[in-house]
Amino acid sequence: MAAVPALLLGVPLCALMWRLPWSNLGAALSSDAATSALVLSLVTSLIATALCVVFGLPLAWALASGTGPTTRVVRALCLLPIVLPPVVGGVALLLAFGRQGIVGQWLADVGVQLPFTTAGVVLAQTFVALPFFVLSVEAALRQLDVEYADVAIVHGASPFRAFVSVTLPSVGPAVLAGAVLAWARALGEFGATVTFAGSLEGRTQTLPLAVYDLLERDPADAVVLSAVLVVVAVAVLVGLRDRWFGVFRSDVAT
Amino acid sequence: MAGIFIGVGCAGADRSTVDILAASSYTDVAEPLEALLEEELGVDVEFSFGSSGSFLEQIRQGAPASVVITADGATMQRISDAGLVDSVVSIATNELVIVAADTAVGRGIESVTDLSSSDVLVVLCASSAPCGAATDALLEGIGLDVDAASREPNVRATLTKVRLGEADAAIVYRTDALASPGLRSVAIAQADNVQVTSRAAAVVGREDAVRVLEVLTEPAAMAVLATAGFGSP
Repeated sequence: MAAVPALLLGVPLCALMWRLPWSNLGAALSSDAATSALVLSLVTSLIATALCVVFGLPLAWALASGTGPTTRVVRALCLLPIVLPPVVGGVALLLAFGRQGIVGQWLADVGVQLPFTTAGVVLAQTFVALPFFVLSVEAALRQLDVEYADVAIVHGASPFRAFVSVTLPSVGPAVLAGAVLAWARALGEFGATVTFAGSLEGRTQTLPLAVYDLLERDPADAVVLSAVLVVVAVAVLVGLRDRWFGVFRSDVAT
Repeated sequence: MAGIFIGVGCAGADRSTVDILAASSYTDVAEPLEALLEEELGVDVEFSFGSSGSFLEQIRQGAPASVVITADGATMQRISDAGLVDSVVSIATNELVIVAADTAVGRGIESVTDLSSSDVLVVLCASSAPCGAATDALLEGIGLDVDAASREPNVRATLTKVRLGEADAAIVYRTDALASPGLRSVAIAQADNVQVTSRAAAVVGREDAVRVLEVLTEPAAMAVLATAGFGSP
């Protein structure tokens, strides 16, 4: 019985690698569409990850320390993009930040345009990736013994100092894992991006969008780019294996 | 008891289903076309839509389709060259048109040359889709450089961006413009315009497709297509 789901997960990935056109691997990866998609994906997903960390840390902290109904509502909001189909996220982003959107029309007045721009890609990626970071860090913060930070404050440290010197180092591995998870999610983003930011080579056509476009023009090249994303995914799994598959090692971050 | 079984058996066996894979420009005409086919053939007809560019791979991978309808001839030629379809027939023609949104910039668009202005936010179909290939041919023919904000996967996605007011203008098929009465359409000069011929074909080994192709080329079907803005081939 266990073999069936294992095959369901394994066979498609093996098929992808099996069909990899090794002979024109270099040509496929160095084509204009592929290189610009690779660069664009790398840049946008890293910026999105940075935004997730910067905005996600305070949010995770607030969620971990709060208990009231507001906290529960905010946490539910944070979870929503995980269970929402990304294309719905893209529609929501359009209605909010599009030219005719409730926020977007004000932005347009001051000359800021998000749809069809690289900034729009980053926004879509951050929207779908942020929950992964926040949840990962919040869980770690909740398990943390708050007494250590309290002791530091009693001994004269400011709450900020206590957070930076005591709390942050102990949740460091969770921050790192959350960031990697968010990055992987941002890198693979398709639905929200194509809906909100469109698809233009060099500006908004990220790797997954390039795969979709290439599948209609040159399926062999699409397989090569897909394989790149599989390799990245495997690397993420290997990098995080201690957190997911093994006993938690406290020396991961040190 | 036996009567119930016979009754159920008849309902199931009498109406088989014919699946049709059609270019996204057929989205709006599918309903009357489906009604006509079902009446003439006494079968259930199911349309599914996508970019014609994706059909070759879909059929090769065994998509459950008996009939394929592409937006242009070149795409059908590739599917035919791959040995996946036979009995190719031309069923309709279409041409390009500009759709303009009701925005300050959109209202000012009078001709295709206006699209080259940097003030106009234009979206076009991706080159891999027939509407994109036709658009490329049109712009190349008149030597116009249009800086598109996005190349959308298919003609419907392109149209949607203008419908939502996110883009000021797009180049789509005449039939798509007719299907969006809220949008102003701007004709492209006949001498410059690119005409595409939509083709239908039977997927190899699908006997149920032959009758569908016959009905699609009959006057009744052509009348339905004409109502939606398609031309006769």
